[in-house]
Amino acid sequence: MNDNAINVENLVKYFDGRCVLDGIYLKVPRGCIYGLLGRNGIGKTTMIRILLGLESPTRGQTSMLGIDSTRLSAKVRGRIGCVAEGHNLIQNYKVSRLIKLCKDLSVRWNNEFFEHLIETFRLPIDRRIKDLSMGMRAQLNLALAMATEPELLILDDPTLGLDTVARRQFLELAIELIQQQERTILFCSHILSDVERIADRVGVLAAGKLVVDCRLEELKRRIKKLQVIFPDKAPENIYITEIINQQVHDREMVLTVANWNRRKQTILDTFKPSSCTEVPMSLEDIFIECTKPAQELIQTGVQEIQNA
Amino acid sequence: MLKMLMLIKREIYDHIAYFLGAIIFSMIIVIITLSATHRSDNHDAPELAVALSFPVIIILIIGFTSMGISQMYADKNKRISAFLLTLPVTRGRILAARIITGILAIVTLFVPLIITTIILYGLLVPPVPVIKGMIFDIFATIILTAIACYCIGLQTGWMTGRILPPLAGLILTFIFASIILIKGFWPQVWLLLIIFIIASVVRIRQKFMKTPL
Amino acid sequence: MQFNIDNSSGRPVYQQLMDQVKRDIALGKLTKDEKLPTVRQLAGQLAINPNTIAKAYRQLEQEGIIVTRPGSGAFVANLDSNLSRAVKKKLLSEELERIAVDAYHMQIDRHILTQWFEQAVEKFNLAEEKEKTNE
Repeated sequence: MNDNAINVENLVKYFDGRCVLDGIYLKVPRGCIYGLLGRNGIGKTTMIRILLGLESPTRGQTSMLGIDSTRLSAKVRGRIGCVAEGHNLIQNYKVSRLIKLCKDLSVRWNNEFFEHLIETFRLPIDRRIKDLSMGMRAQLNLALAMATEPELLILDDPTLGLDTVARRQFLELAIELIQQQERTILFCSHILSDVERIADRVGVLAAGKLVVDCRLEELKRRIKKLQVIFPDKAPENIYITEIINQQVHDREMVLTVANWNRRKQTILDTFKPSSCTEVPMSLEDIFIECTKPAQELIQTGVQEIQNA
Repeated sequence: MLKMLMLIKREIYDHIAYFLGAIIFSMIIVIITLSATHRSDNHDAPELAVALSFPVIIILIIGFTSMGISQMYADKNKRISAFLLTLPVTRGRILAARIITGILAIVTLFVPLIITTIILYGLLVPPVPVIKGMIFDIFATIILTAIACYCIGLQTGWMTGRILPPLAGLILTFIFASIILIKGFWPQVWLLLIIFIIASVVRIRQKFMKTPL
Repeated sequence: MQFNIDNSSGRPVYQQLMDQVKRDIALGKLTKDEKLPTVRQLAGQLAINPNTIAKAYRQLEQEGIIVTRPGSGAFVANLDSNLSRAVKKKLLSEELERIAVDAYHMQIDRHILTQWFEQAVEKFNLAEEKEKTNE
């Protein structure tokens, strides 16, 4: 338990009778950068809010740094940095006032680092927060979170509103943070190329469940997309398990399969295809396949891609 | 603790208008009272006090209710607690700082009045226990009412919905005002008020600790 | 060291990094005994997770492409050593077999395939291998 920065057990959340999270299990070990992916409105923010203790779960429990989310003490909160969705901060405060508030209330504060960030981001100190652009608010939020040298950094769509250069700066910051001992980062992003660069592990939230939860390199290895051509009409059913997606058109079958192995290859060969080529799948392709609304396919196909 | 002071300082600064209002209001009453006692002799003073007390009480009640509403509504609207919780604070401390700030505002308003009353009483009125008791009763009732109205404000401000909660708050406030006017400044009223205040604080804390931010 | 991640590729980032290092060595951009940037440096420079880079370096070392000397860092290996030769054979055989299968499916015959291969070899200007051991 103590090895995990984040621990989520059987998390269930209902909103107005609608099930948003349907039994989520997740362990993020210390020192890991975890990329949480999922379509808009799928429940990523809800899960993060529950983790931070801003919302309570319907069932199940979550903990950060070993402490239950509903019982986080001030001291533990001081070890956790967080960038919330939308970068709201406190709208009518001046930037300088907000900085002072954070500085006064924080347990640890690396002022040198913070000043360096403010300078790099070129943030205006005398403006009101509501007068900043979304990108500037994001950068301020990030700077405030990182200045406290958190052991655990939780980022909900941190690059929303950032331009290309700023996004790259953020990535470099994240890398710099992770190089220090025992730091953990959990972040949600829609920019898959960013996730691919910096994440160790990746999880995909779809239909209320964590359909993918494994190391990033494992993901590409374990999910394969194959273009199979048959001499005559393609068979309806090829009796292979863990199919995520299957499209048949005349003689061609395009198959997305989890945990492709020799046995499955052998089964496929019994149908005597005239050719079988692998279609390279980027992280984006994998993500799209995994979040297609065909629920039965997801349930049967991808459940096994866990805990690699 | 230092952090509590920071939170209180933040809360005061955000609602500085109420503190300034309290000081100004307090000063106005003091000045009126002083000038009144200077001009006429002792017979008019009690009547003047009674004549003033009704509008003063109304203003106090509305003022403190609105402070409570303002504090909680601002939090909910601007998601202040949601942000504060990213810092090393707990919900309990945020709420405690908030209520302490409210009490401080009440203190800011009443302390000058109490001091003035004590001084005037010492200077002008012969030491008759009945009048001394009466003054104590009046202040105790008004202060408890102020705190009770503040609690109404806190609860009202935290609720969602646009019309119903403020309406309910307003109704409760008038009920309290009526009770005081009808029953006068009696100890039974105090008991009622104290029970109400304790129940309110318990309820506010319960809600604040559990509500999604 | 220049490195671009191909997001549309089916290969994990660490493998892409390995491919790039091997390619640079083959093209002469990285020479024998040249010092490679540290994991930290490269992670910071490319904004890539240091674990990914560490994994790439570990794999490269396993395959004999680079050597790490404790305290000094990672260096391009002496590519003429026998140990790395065996590893190289394993790697290339796998790739060649893959190409052979693809060629079969594409119905490209052996002679044309060999011709194309010769052209590819010439392009990279590899030196004629010196006969040292019997494979």
